[in-house]
Amino acid sequence: MTRKITRRSALITGGAIAAAGVFAPNIARAADPINVGSLTPNTGGGGPFGPKITSAHKRVVELVNSQGGVLGTTINLFQENSETNPETAVRAADKLINVNKVVGILGTWSSSVTLGIMPKCQEAGVIQMCTSSSADIPVRDEKGYVFNFQALSPVWGRAIARLALRRGFKTFNLMALNNDFTRSMMDGFTEVVGKDKLLQDSFYYNGGQSSYRSEVTQLIEKNPEAVFIPSYVTDFTSVYKEIFRQGYEGQVISVSISTGAKFKEAIGDAANGIIHGLPVPPIKSPAYAEYVTETGLEPTDGVQHPFGTAGRDQMSVLLLAIEKSGSTDADKVSKAIWDITTGDGKETVYNVTDGLKAIRAGKEINYSGASSSVEFDKEGMVLGRDFQLAEIKDGKDVVIERLEF
Amino acid sequence: MSAYLISMATFVGFFMILALALNLQWGMTGMVNFGIAGFYALGAYTSGLLSVKLGWPVGITIAMSCVTGLIAGGLVALLSMRLREDYLAIVTLGFGEIVRLIALNEDQITEGPRGLKIDARPFADMFDRETYPLVYLGLVAAAVAVVFVIVECIRRSPMGRTLRAIREDDVVAEVLGKNVLRHRVQVFALGGAFMGLAGALYAHYVQNISPEVFMPMVAIFIWMSVIVGGAGNNWGLLLGAGVVMTILEGSRFMGDFIDFLDAEQLSAIRIIVIGVLLIAILRVRPRGLIPEPKFSFATSTTQQERQPSTENAK
Repeated sequence: MTRKITRRSALITGGAIAAAGVFAPNIARAADPINVGSLTPNTGGGGPFGPKITSAHKRVVELVNSQGGVLGTTINLFQENSETNPETAVRAADKLINVNKVVGILGTWSSSVTLGIMPKCQEAGVIQMCTSSSADIPVRDEKGYVFNFQALSPVWGRAIARLALRRGFKTFNLMALNNDFTRSMMDGFTEVVGKDKLLQDSFYYNGGQSSYRSEVTQLIEKNPEAVFIPSYVTDFTSVYKEIFRQGYEGQVISVSISTGAKFKEAIGDAANGIIHGLPVPPIKSPAYAEYVTETGLEPTDGVQHPFGTAGRDQMSVLLLAIEKSGSTDADKVSKAIWDITTGDGKETVYNVTDGLKAIRAGKEINYSGASSSVEFDKEGMVLGRDFQLAEIKDGKDVVIERLEF
Repeated sequence: MSAYLISMATFVGFFMILALALNLQWGMTGMVNFGIAGFYALGAYTSGLLSVKLGWPVGITIAMSCVTGLIAGGLVALLSMRLREDYLAIVTLGFGEIVRLIALNEDQITEGPRGLKIDARPFADMFDRETYPLVYLGLVAAAVAVVFVIVECIRRSPMGRTLRAIREDDVVAEVLGKNVLRHRVQVFALGGAFMGLAGALYAHYVQNISPEVFMPMVAIFIWMSVIVGGAGNNWGLLLGAGVVMTILEGSRFMGDFIDFLDAEQLSAIRIIVIGVLLIAILRVRPRGLIPEPKFSFATSTTQQERQPSTENAK
């Protein structure tokens, strides 16, 4: 008897799941507003950043909806998790494109995810806005639908190298996590310091290892004055522990995404002295000040939410471009994105509210954002982000230098 | 919406081929394979590279994926010659990682972490953009059907009984005069070929593959499909693959209705829900949704031809 009931309930459960899969999307599609997708790394390698990006998207959409939306209709935001994994992200993008009929997919972070969903987006005519640094992104974007709000990684490498040279280091060794983002950063760094300053050939290491002993031994063998290690926080924590254990006395330089709160928590006092850099929001910009207020953060002179600010800019730019072009067609919207972000002699706006007002008043605008002044080159890559080098002192980041554009 | 369902059905098709292959290896023969992602990657990269770098026609590159999968499967199985089953699990896991790391590091050939962009698609010129996904689904469905017929024929054949004997106790099978090693190599190679086929179909469908796609997680999904569906039963795991994909993807729609949670909480809850549903299914159906039928003479498909031999036995 018991067995029969279990079987039946199992069938019901299975049926309910199947029904949910089949019917749910139809209900979701019932309304007819403008649909926008947010695909952020809420778990996995990008986990510390994704939620901030997607909540920035949501704040902009809620703000615009409370003021009547764009083109006289409300904005519907669909949020998905890429899990920082291109295999999952392709299916999430599929749902956003085919079920939610989104105009654009915003917020992809890892380059492999941005590149992974690109064929589908290009085919379906969907705008992509990302903070990914792979130099392959502009190359593969054949239709001009991709807008990148992050500096490409060779730019990171070059900026960190210039700041490191200014600190007076003479010899370097490099090793990078084997992924596209960190590899091209290493190339940019080498380009600036010059090959003769490297004591040995640079090399890549594979992530996800339990120990990095042999890699670290190789890196510090010739005792360079400084080592540069482009990495993610997950592997840099283990790498740095090994460097510390082997008693290296030179300067460790990395990227700030690897040395966040989680890293400092894991490493403790030993983290003091590490230098790290990354592209940062223009902290003197009114847009950045507004972002800090919107998120309820305490204003500090340091940089907060390097990626969340980009989320605010992505959504603002997309909605302004839709209003400007009067359409949700990808070709028209992407053309309008250049119109409202790039070019001289236009009225500068710092938020979506002012932007919408100006566009409706028939003015030409240039949106300047919380993550950068948001000017794009011909390939849709952002130009001129500020860059900051910081040192960890007493468990806190102290800004050493900032390159401003 | 229908475009989405077609796309998900296509993904279910890839899962089904992989699950049928795993069932052949593990469900029927008892050979543990944790390296599914490796065979999948091998197929995807073989077909992708041959079409991108050498410009071979897609039909041939897909066939070549089956061949590389076949060879790799055979070689991995030969390694198991002197290894007990649990060691095979470790060898296959290692194989999967080796394939992924080669794809990651040999970037002159595979484009490494940048990922390989594949333009070629089978029959792409003959159909327009609207109908093409349906055509591709048809292609994948045909592949599933072919693989299904092959594994089902094996299951019903004398070879199928031998395989089950090996699964239950390989010493007994050997004592009965069965060539255990030969069967194991055959089965593993064939399973590898099917996984290679799935990889090739996947590569030309998503058109962008990178080593990060082929993480061991893929193997876990396929294991879930086989276990949820019912190990040993080919019909069951077709259902299993569908159910696992429905749970993975269906849970996405939660977010469209629940707006009081933020995206971070939703992402976490979705992953918890996936785990809970799978546990719940296995709690109520421990042997899977459609378990393998217990073997008995009364229900055997070969009852008639067997009749005399039972009499002789008396």
